[in-house]
Amino acid sequence: MSALVNSQRFAISPRLARLPGWTVLVVWTAAVLLPLYILVVSCFKTTAEIYDNRLGLPKSFAFDNFVNAWTRAHLGQNFVNSLIVTGGAVVLTIVVSAMAAYPLSRYRLGWNGIMLGLFLAGIMLPIRLASVELFTLMRNLDLLDSLTGLILVYSAIRIPFAVFIFANFMRVLPSELDEAARMDGAGEVRILFQIILPMVKPAVSIVAIFTAIAVWNDFFFPLIFIFDDRYKTVPLAISVFVGQFRTDWGLVFASLAISMAPILIMYCLLARQIREGVGAGGGMK
Amino acid sequence: MVHPRRKSSLRRTQQRMAVLFILPALAVYALFVLYPLAMSLWGSFFLWKGLRMVEFAGLSNFSRLFVFPSGARLYGALWHNTAWFFGIMVFQNGIGLLFAWLLFLRDKGAAFFQSVFFFPAVLSPVIVGALWRLLLAPGGVAEWALNGLGLHQGSLTVLGNSYTALWMLIAVDAWNWMGLPVLIYTAGLRQISGQIFEAAKLDGAGDARMLLSIALPLLMPAIGTLTTLSFINTFNQFDIVYVMQGVQGNPSYSTDTLVTYFYRLAFGAEGAVGITDIGLALALGTMLFLILSIGTLMMLRFFDRRTVQL
Repeated sequence: MSALVNSQRFAISPRLARLPGWTVLVVWTAAVLLPLYILVVSCFKTTAEIYDNRLGLPKSFAFDNFVNAWTRAHLGQNFVNSLIVTGGAVVLTIVVSAMAAYPLSRYRLGWNGIMLGLFLAGIMLPIRLASVELFTLMRNLDLLDSLTGLILVYSAIRIPFAVFIFANFMRVLPSELDEAARMDGAGEVRILFQIILPMVKPAVSIVAIFTAIAVWNDFFFPLIFIFDDRYKTVPLAISVFVGQFRTDWGLVFASLAISMAPILIMYCLLARQIREGVGAGGGMK
Repeated sequence: MVHPRRKSSLRRTQQRMAVLFILPALAVYALFVLYPLAMSLWGSFFLWKGLRMVEFAGLSNFSRLFVFPSGARLYGALWHNTAWFFGIMVFQNGIGLLFAWLLFLRDKGAAFFQSVFFFPAVLSPVIVGALWRLLLAPGGVAEWALNGLGLHQGSLTVLGNSYTALWMLIAVDAWNWMGLPVLIYTAGLRQISGQIFEAAKLDGAGDARMLLSIALPLLMPAIGTLTTLSFINTFNQFDIVYVMQGVQGNPSYSTDTLVTYFYRLAFGAEGAVGITDIGLALALGTMLFLILSIGTLMMLRFFDRRTVQL
């Protein structure tokens, strides 16, 4: 009898004990997904429909809000600008950081430590506090209202993290790799780009993913360096829309959806790499 | 055997190549990060006219920072940043630990929940802020839902109320970054040897006991990373405030932070007429720089000492 009760208790209770935990996890999942669901369905509704029908699916999947956001609010131009700045900053950051990390991690220079330390300090430096002097510098270099200016500033900010990641990955490669290539008469540039860099592909993808996210999302530097509408990036444009089109909710929701689309696509494709990168490094913002 | 002369010539070539390879990264980094930062720190000791440095002024910018009319803004912002930090420690990093622990106890579905929880963190704070501003606005979904459930009557004005606005922003920030503690804690928990948990289970320890007495002390490095990151992020807080409450930290400066105050001083949005005060802005920047670097170093040391070695 008591054995029966015991076995029953063991059969049911572990599952039952798990129930509150599952509930907590599901509640937070809803807290994350519900606002995003409202965002998506509201894109297809007129403002009147948003008030009438809060949570339901739209009456029809009309793309008016997207068309209006893209053309009337000029989000199309902002989108192209953001793509140029993000692409430029990712490529520049990867190339110069890989070049710097290669000798710092694989040569015996005598000053590797100091130089690496100088780069690493930049991971923690609060660069926003330098924005007054940075503004003056950009004005003197004629880099205000310029996508090139943004690319240079973002690369400068992301270089410390990229050098850190590249140096860590390159340090553990066997030294026979470049020695053999050197014996065959390969130059240092070729050794780096054709032998070393292909061996540290995970580092390249970590740097590319986190640089792209940080640059695509940033709003502070366009806010202080860009005044001309033609050069505004997506987050800056969105911050203006929220005030400017506050009565046209459908349009604002649609522009939010457009601006998060590239990140959403990337996240769906690379969720595992992103999870592992954050879990391992933590250094993301 | 490599000939000594060849070896020393290789060393010389390497020194030359190293300089050439490091130069592009160093030049960009030094010009756009190190130089402006150093100049900002230096400039905080000078008197400024507009964007022009006039003469050495010692600590006078700093003393102006603490008295009328700047004092009220400074202490207000300092308090809001501090409240923000503790709010994030409890609501984001505390609840995040609970989520991570629940995921750690389950083999199934952990990757799915982690991906969902982390998704808001890859969005721009501008998008997150704009989205929640629309949801929490008078006439928005939150008002409709609370009225429907009978939890609230009439118009919802949590963002326009100076008692609740700051806490709403902290909650939005926690929603934004909840995935970060979840990922870092689960990675930390998985590094702890399973044998330790097995042994504790045999001794009759329950889930809660294992979390508090065994996992928590062993998670010190993860807790240290998160505390330091949260400290740096909250004291740099700007985007969410700007998008949701405007650069003044409305209503009546109740959500003002050190960086929004810095931005107003530096780029001319402080006061009704929009005066820039570069000297004051740079002094505030230098102070914030000191708070951030001393705070970060102290936290790193604190958590380093408390790391349990097994």
